[in-house]
Amino acid sequence: MRGIYIVGGYPDKESFLKIADIVLNKMDFIEIGIPFSDPVADGPIISSAINNILGKINVKEIIDITKLLGKEKNIFYMTYSNIIYSYGIKKFSDEVKNYIKGIIIADLPNRLHDFFYQRGLEIPIIPFITPESRESDIKEIIKYRPPFIYFIGIRGITGSKADLDNSEIIDKIKVIKKLTDIPVIIGFGIKGKKDAKKAISIADGFVIGTEAVKVQNNLQLFIDFVNSLQ
Amino acid sequence: MDIKKMFYGEYGGQFVPETLIPALDELDHAFENAIKNENFIEKFNSLLRNYAGRPTPIYFAERFSRKYGLKLYLKREDLLHTGAHKINNTIGQGLLTSFMGKKRIIAETGAGQHGVATATVAALLGLECIIYMGKLDAKRQEPNVKRMKILGAEVVEVENGSMTLKDAMNEALRDWVKNVKNTHYIIGSTAGPYPFPKIVAYFQSVIGKEARDFFDKNCILPDYVIACVGGGSNAMGIFQGFLDTNVRLIGVEAGGKSNKIGEHAMTLNLGKKGILHGSLSYLLCDDDGQVAPVHSISAGLDYPGVGPQHAYFKDSGKIKYDFVRDNDALQGFFELSRLEGIIPALESSHAIGYVIKNQELFKDKVVLLNLSGRGDKDMKIIEKKI
Ligand SMILES: Cc1ncc(COP(=O)(O)O)c(C=O)c1O
Repeated sequence: MRGIYIVGGYPDKESFLKIADIVLNKMDFIEIGIPFSDPVADGPIISSAINNILGKINVKEIIDITKLLGKEKNIFYMTYSNIIYSYGIKKFSDEVKNYIKGIIIADLPNRLHDFFYQRGLEIPIIPFITPESRESDIKEIIKYRPPFIYFIGIRGITGSKADLDNSEIIDKIKVIKKLTDIPVIIGFGIKGKKDAKKAISIADGFVIGTEAVKVQNNLQLFIDFVNSLQ
Repeated sequence: MDIKKMFYGEYGGQFVPETLIPALDELDHAFENAIKNENFIEKFNSLLRNYAGRPTPIYFAERFSRKYGLKLYLKREDLLHTGAHKINNTIGQGLLTSFMGKKRIIAETGAGQHGVATATVAALLGLECIIYMGKLDAKRQEPNVKRMKILGAEVVEVENGSMTLKDAMNEALRDWVKNVKNTHYIIGSTAGPYPFPKIVAYFQSVIGKEARDFFDKNCILPDYVIACVGGGSNAMGIFQGFLDTNVRLIGVEAGGKSNKIGEHAMTLNLGKKGILHGSLSYLLCDDDGQVAPVHSISAGLDYPGVGPQHAYFKDSGKIKYDFVRDNDALQGFFELSRLEGIIPALESSHAIGYVIKNQELFKDKVVLLNLSGRGDKDMKIIEKKI
């Protein structure tokens, strides 16, 4: 499972739709970021793309353009708790549940997934595993049978570089694999083809964020980047 | 982990990246052990006494009282080492840092008081210290930037967003996610993810305890207790001494220039429920969930969120939350300076301004006001008003 994260609606609606189509055609899934004013899990590159688009597009419009991409696509959202909470958790869920396969909430730890489920969220929340996660944490999250597990390969925010040769990471993924067959996707810190290959060899896939967002405002460079991953 | 204990009614929680969860568990565990540990408590109390200068006096403001027709008592947190109540919390959390075996501390700061108090404790305990401060705040509270640097801290000026407290907190959280193994994040108010609101309220509870003792000794209770509310730590500190009474508790928010979005920081008065910096509480944000710009003449109140305990007490009606404007705070600032010879912090000046503005309400009443800090840091802002 090879995925790309892009910032929803950036740099503008038309370009975004073109880019999203390219990702859906050439990769296995897309993660669409719904911008939030205070993205504490994001580094400077993604934060600045988010900042650029804030105020120019609202959540409803991002939902609408998601629908233009079609049903049954491998679309995931990535956002922050307050976006969904303020929209109305149930309303948000009802509007997008037929269009996205899951949602990554950067500031929602696994132990608070129920907070959203109990308030009407019917979209699977993608759980995180970090190098710090304990075996009991892993057992807890696989009970929900999420579409995949988001393995954060670094201690850090988006834009840092993962060290996929680190035995700590490789061992942790082995522990997960022993406990479940749910795919493990490495996110945060995957930079290009070399990392991607490595990620595929130690896990079930990867998501590239920062490197894609860097060229998200230039269609040709974006196409070149996606092609370089093939 | 018992999820319920993270919440005050429906407020609170741990809305932070998963990476921080083990550190928050570790912190909660360390805190619960520390406050049962005699050595820890003795060390904490001894530093409060001999280093910070506790207990702080309760002072009857006679000339002010005569002029405005009430009996005003001031809890003199402004007399503490470093000039504000913030040191109560940083001594506590600094000791916890050492207790957990961590060597590096980070903090956000608005007015710079929490930053100075953190840098001070870092020097005292031999810890590496990084302070995040919005660029705008660094400019308007410049004396405090110098103090932090003298104390050996590195001050990182944050140029994102509104370049104020909220953005400093974002940056501190990013640092913590990266360096969580060796770093403790000393949050400066009753905000942030659980267990911070609990821990900060605990370390600040000494304010209320001392104040209550004073009144108990004199066999009376005040009619009102008043404190300014930014994130809510000095207010929680003093209110905790009176929660078991019928004393009326009033938190004063920063009304800025007007009720227009972007011109105030009245989170409890005008905000709605939302999630920022780890907890669900009241929040100033738009319908889309984007956090709103805020304004206050005082950097320490210039924050769109508020601690979850205050959200809880607002809904329950136990504490009333009101506001005054920048100009009322300025009036409070000058009145206290000229009637009592006490130059208050602009944050605390909001509480004083509130008393002046509502002098009819307080006529002949006994009012206890938490003078959370002193105003030396505010010279740059005040300069233009003299
Ligand atoms: C003197 C003083 N009072 C009050 C505050 C506001 O914070 P809190 O509401 O946590 O007491 C600050 C914050 O910087 C401060 O420096």
